[in-house]
Amino acid sequence: MADRKLERRTILDPAVAGLLNDMENRQSDAALPRREREKKARERAKMTARRDQRATFDLPPALRQRIMELAEAERLPASQLVTLALARFLQDLSAGGLDLAPLKQPSRSPRYDWNLVLPEGLLPAAPKKTIKRK
Amino acid sequence: MGKTTTAVTIADGLARRGLKTLLVDLDPQGHTAVALGLKKSPGLYRLICLGEPLQRIVQNARPNLDILPGDKQTEKVKRQITLSDFRESILLDILQDTDYQVVMLDLAPSFDVLHVNGLVASDWVLIPTRLDALAVDGVKEILLTMGEVARRGHAFQGFSILPTFFDRTTRETLVQFKEIVTAFGSRVWPPIPQDTKVREASAYGKTMWEYAPESASMAGYVEGKLRLGGYRQIMERMMEVING
Repeated sequence: MADRKLERRTILDPAVAGLLNDMENRQSDAALPRREREKKARERAKMTARRDQRATFDLPPALRQRIMELAEAERLPASQLVTLALARFLQDLSAGGLDLAPLKQPSRSPRYDWNLVLPEGLLPAAPKKTIKRK
Repeated sequence: MGKTTTAVTIADGLARRGLKTLLVDLDPQGHTAVALGLKKSPGLYRLICLGEPLQRIVQNARPNLDILPGDKQTEKVKRQITLSDFRESILLDILQDTDYQVVMLDLAPSFDVLHVNGLVASDWVLIPTRLDALAVDGVKEILLTMGEVARRGHAFQGFSILPTFFDRTTRETLVQFKEIVTAFGSRVWPPIPQDTKVREASAYGKTMWEYAPESASMAGYVEGKLRLGGYRQIMERMMEVING
């Protein structure tokens, strides 16, 4: 296994980090030809605009795999499928069609009071790992 | 460094949010009063050398904002303090029993007995600095003095560094900004952009909230939907400090 490079990460004020990042980008772009500079600026603006739409959650690999397969089969972006799934879930929850109470188990974590224990068979089966034999 | 502008802008900002605020000028230049459209006067001298009560000397500058002005007589205060017993805590003893919700001290850049008095009387320190090598060195000197004060038993709740006169287009600003951010991390607050309106406001004796509330030094840089830096953002950080 390659050695992981350990670095001390400095926590910054978010506005300071944003400004520093912006200044570094401007400075590195300054040496580029105009067309490339404009292209980079457009890409950066697109990324910044999408920042509010991004979220990170831990998901079971099987569920993630199933979403990716479905997205490929339907030829749709996976993000849109996940959006649909979550919107339907929230709709069901607020309409009373779904009750979380029976699924909740006390958590030992100091951060959370409960864990959600999903009923067996709800999640798709885990993808089979391919084992190479010599 | 923009010390007086920062002190006046934040003090008026706090007063506008309904906090009863006292701004004390510890600099013999006496610019705090001028920046608020008042005359310099020997307020600190009367308080410490003549022993007059604080409430008789303070001047009301704006709603919820009083100032204890200073002038060149402040130099005499230093001599008086030097000759006194328990000299480091003279200002603390006077200010700790006031009924103000916030007391802000505008310190001179010199390292003398009044500077130490100001630090001993402070729970929390904001250090405005330009971004050039000498100014950044000045920040380190202030932090060393704070370290000395802390070693003698004073517990600071915290400090932050506020880059001022910030010009994001120059390479030198980036170099110094990186250096200060690397050294002090989250202690560095978003910077105050360079802004001619600040000089104009002082000349008219108005605060930035009155003269140019939407100018660059107040509103910061626009980056997409975000605003980065500027005194408005600093006010949010300040309120977090005050509310603990």
